[in-house]
Amino acid sequence: MWSHVYTGKAISTMRNIVLFFIICAAIPSCGENDKVVYSDNNCKLVPPFVGRLGFNTKNALFSTSEKKTMGLVLIESADPLNPQAAIIKKYQDSSWKKAGWLAPIQLDEHGNIFTAPAPFINVLNNPANDQNTIYKVNGQNGHMDAFVKLPAPDSSTDQNPYGILGMIYLCETGSLYVSTVAGSNRRVEKGMVYQVNAANGEISAKLTGMDIIGMGISYINGERRLFLGRARSSGVYSVALNKKGNFSGKPELAFSLDGLGTRGDDKVRRIKTNKDGSLEVHGMEFNFNLIAPTEKQETVYRFVYDEKQKKWVHQ
Amino acid sequence: MKIKRISFFCWIVLLFSCADSNYNSTGTPVPGYNEDAVQSVVIATDSLKTFDFVHTRVEQIKAALLLPMPVLLYRDSLNAQQRLAQAIALFDTVFTQSVREKGSNRPYRCEIFGVYPARESDMEYIKTPYQLANCYRVELYNYGLNSTAVAIADIGQQKVLANAFQAQTQPDIPPGLKDLATKIAVSSPEVQQALGMKPGDTDALMASTKTSLNRTRCERSGHLCVAPTFVKDGRALWAIVDLTDYKLTGLRWTNVGTTGPAPVITEKKLQDDKITSCFCELETPLQRDGWKMNYMLTSSDGLRVADVSFNGQPVLQNAKLVDWHVSYSGTDGFGYSDAVGCPYFSQAAVIAFDPPVVKPIEENNKLIGFALEQSFKSEQWPNPCNYNYLQRYEFYTDGRFRIAAASLGRGCGNDGTYRPVFRIVFAGEQNSFSEWNGAGWSNWTKERWQQQLPATSYTPQGYQYKLVAGNGTGYYMQPGNGQFKDGGRGDNAYVYVTLNKTGTDEGETDMVTIGPCCNIDYHQGPEKFIEPAPEDIGNKKIVLWYVAQLKNDNTRGREYCWAESVLENGLYVTKSYPGFCGPMFIPVKQ
Repeated sequence: MWSHVYTGKAISTMRNIVLFFIICAAIPSCGENDKVVYSDNNCKLVPPFVGRLGFNTKNALFSTSEKKTMGLVLIESADPLNPQAAIIKKYQDSSWKKAGWLAPIQLDEHGNIFTAPAPFINVLNNPANDQNTIYKVNGQNGHMDAFVKLPAPDSSTDQNPYGILGMIYLCETGSLYVSTVAGSNRRVEKGMVYQVNAANGEISAKLTGMDIIGMGISYINGERRLFLGRARSSGVYSVALNKKGNFSGKPELAFSLDGLGTRGDDKVRRIKTNKDGSLEVHGMEFNFNLIAPTEKQETVYRFVYDEKQKKWVHQ
Repeated sequence: MKIKRISFFCWIVLLFSCADSNYNSTGTPVPGYNEDAVQSVVIATDSLKTFDFVHTRVEQIKAALLLPMPVLLYRDSLNAQQRLAQAIALFDTVFTQSVREKGSNRPYRCEIFGVYPARESDMEYIKTPYQLANCYRVELYNYGLNSTAVAIADIGQQKVLANAFQAQTQPDIPPGLKDLATKIAVSSPEVQQALGMKPGDTDALMASTKTSLNRTRCERSGHLCVAPTFVKDGRALWAIVDLTDYKLTGLRWTNVGTTGPAPVITEKKLQDDKITSCFCELETPLQRDGWKMNYMLTSSDGLRVADVSFNGQPVLQNAKLVDWHVSYSGTDGFGYSDAVGCPYFSQAAVIAFDPPVVKPIEENNKLIGFALEQSFKSEQWPNPCNYNYLQRYEFYTDGRFRIAAASLGRGCGNDGTYRPVFRIVFAGEQNSFSEWNGAGWSNWTKERWQQQLPATSYTPQGYQYKLVAGNGTGYYMQPGNGQFKDGGRGDNAYVYVTLNKTGTDEGETDMVTIGPCCNIDYHQGPEKFIEPAPEDIGNKKIVLWYVAQLKNDNTRGREYCWAESVLENGLYVTKSYPGFCGPMFIPVKQ
C-alpha cells in the first residue's frame, strides 16, 4: 500500500529520529516512573470455597505441616493466632494430596492458593521430577492442579532431595516469587529465585546461583526490597524490586541470624513485615537433609531498621 | 560517522540496562571441605577419659546434690553483699523451683554462676520500690535441663523482686570454670599433639601460645561447653571442652579472621564437617585380621562396605542398609520410612553424628575378630519420636562375618515394629542360592522371597540358606534366632533374592526410600525387583535382601529397641536397650 523510495541520507536521518524517540521513551523508564509507592502487601483473600464448605472464614487457615496428613489441609481453629488452640474441624479435597507432601503456601487477592511439593522424612511421595512444580488451588472450586513447572536443573543429584522451598506474593504486580534449590549439591550452589506471573504462569525474571529458602518483602527508604534467606548460611540478603516487581541491582547482605537463638545457625524459613516496619524473621534448622525433629526447631527473631546506622538490628 | 553511530548504540544499550531484571550468576562453586575439617578431631561421645584434677570438683558436686538445697554456690570470691544476695535468692521458692525434678524430687546439678550488681535494664519490669545499689542479679545454671534462672535479689528488703527463666540458655561462665576448661584443654594429649608440644608440658604450651576463651555450643549433647582457643603462627586451634562431663569434645584449626569475624566452631559443626569431609566424600580402606575392605558413609544407605575379601579371596562386592521402616500397630498407616546417612546434603532422616568406629571382638579374653560400627541418631533422642540406629559389620578371624543392625529406640510408642532393609551383593559372577528343606539343600532357580517363620527348617548348626560360587566356595547363612549373645530376640526376617543385572541399577547406587513404612507383609520394597515376572537366577550374579522385623518392648526388665532418660547425679543419663538383628555368614568348607 505504501510505496515510497528513500535516498540513503533520508534513511539515515529517519533512523536517527526513530532512535531519538526511543531514547526519550527509555529515559523515563529508568527514572521517575520506576518509583515504588508504599503498600502493605496484604491483599490475600480467603478463598470463596472455604465459606461454601461451611467453615468460619475468620478462623480458617491452611496447613501443609500436619504430620499425619500429607498435602494441603483446611483447618478451622478456635484461635488462628494460637498454635495450641483447639481444632474445630478439618477438610482435605482429594486433589490436595496429589503432589505429595507440600511446603510453602501463598494466597492472592482472588483467593487462589499457590503451593509446592517438598519431601517430609523421605522422598517416597515426592518424586524428583516434580520438585520444581508450582501447584495452584482454584479459589472458587477448591481444586488443585499443577500451575507452572519451573525449568529443571541441568543435572540431578541424590545429595539434595529438595526443589522449591519458598514463596512470597507481591500484590501490587501480581508476582509470585519462588525459590528453588533443585540441582544444588555439596559443591555447587545452583539455586534460583523466579518472578512468576501469578495470573498466567509466565516467568518474568530470575536470580541465579543462590540457594534461598524463606523470603519477605519490605519497604526501606522508599525502596521496595525482597529479602532472601540463604539456605547454606544464616545470612539474609535483599534485592530491590522495581515498579514491575523485577529484580533491580544485585542482592546485598542485609543481616544475619548467625549466633542467634538456641541453635546459632538458623536459616530463614519466612519473613513477615510488621505494621511498624520491623521484620518478623522465622529461623529454623536446615542442612539439606530430611531430619524431622519432633518439636519444631523454629525461633522467631525481630529485626528493626536503624536509620542512623543504616542497618538492620536484632531486638 | 560509523564510530559515532556505534557509540550511540552503546549508549542506548546502557540506558536499557536500567531495566535489566535479572541478576545472573553461574552455578557458584562452594568452598570444599578444607584440610582443617579433614584434620579436625572428634572425640567419641562415649569416651570415658577424665582428668585427675576434676575429681575434687566431682566430689563437691556429689556433696551438693545431697543437700536440702542442692545448689553449688559461687566458687570464686564474693563480697558480703553478694553472698547475702546469693542466700536471699536461694531462699526464694520461685527461683529454686526447678532445682529438683518434678515428680521424683531428685536433684538436678545446679550451680550459681554469677552474682552481679543489678543494672537499670534488669529492673525494667519491677514495679515495687527499690534502691538500685541494694539489688543484685543472681544467675543459676541447671546442667540437667540446660537452663538458666535469674533472680533480682534486694539485700535491703531481703527478698527477691523478680525472676526469669530461659530454657536452652547458659549464663556467663564464672572464672573458675573458665580456668578449668583451659586446664582440660592443655592437659589433653590431642591438643598437645596439635600444637606440637610434648605430652604434659602444659606450662610451655601456655607460655608459647596466645590463649583465649571463645563461647561455643554443644548443640547435640545440650551440655555446657566453652572453647579455649590457642593462636599460633597466625592460626587458631579451637578446643571444645565439655564442662558438664569435663572432657575434650574435639578440636579444629581455623584461620584467624582477617576479613571479618572468624567462624565459630561448635560441636555440631565440628562433627558434621568431619563426618562429611572424611567419610561421606571418600572411601576409607580397612585391613585387619586377614580382612580387607573399603567403607564409606552414603547419602541415604547408611554405612556401606565394598570390595570385601578374606585372605585374598573376594567375599562381598558391597553391603549396605537401605532403609528403616517403622510402623506402629496402634495407628493404621502411621510410621516412618527412614533413610540413614550423611549429615549434610543427604536424603537421610536420621544422620550420623560420630565417625565410624572399629572395635575388637573378644571371647573368653581372646581376640576373635573386629566390628565396624556406625550410629545414626535424631538430635533429640531419647525423647519420644526420636530414633537411634546402629549398623554393625562383624568380621571374624575364622572367616565368618555378620551384617547386623540395631534399633536403640525410642520411637513414638511401645507398639512399634522396626524393619531394617539390608542389601548384600556377594562377589563372583556365578552364584547358586539354596535353602535347607529339612532333609537337604533345595536350589532357588528363580527370583523369590521367603519369610523366616516358627516352622522354618534349619540345619543342626542353625543354617537356613547357602550361597555357593562357581568355584565351590561360599557361605551358609544363619538368620538371627536370639543366638548371637547380643540380646537379639530373633529376626522373623524376609529374605529376597534378585538377579543382579548388568546395566540395570536395582539399588547399586544410593537408593531413595525403597518402600513404605507400614506394610506388615513381604511388601517391604525388594519385591518390586521380583514381581511381576521373576527371572532365572541359577548360577548368575545375585543380590540378597534381608528384612528383619523387631517388635519393640518397654516392659520393665524386658526392654527391647527402647531408650529412656534417667536422672542420675543431677544429669539425665540415657539408658538404651538395643534390639539387634542380622544374619551370620559361615564359610562353606570346600
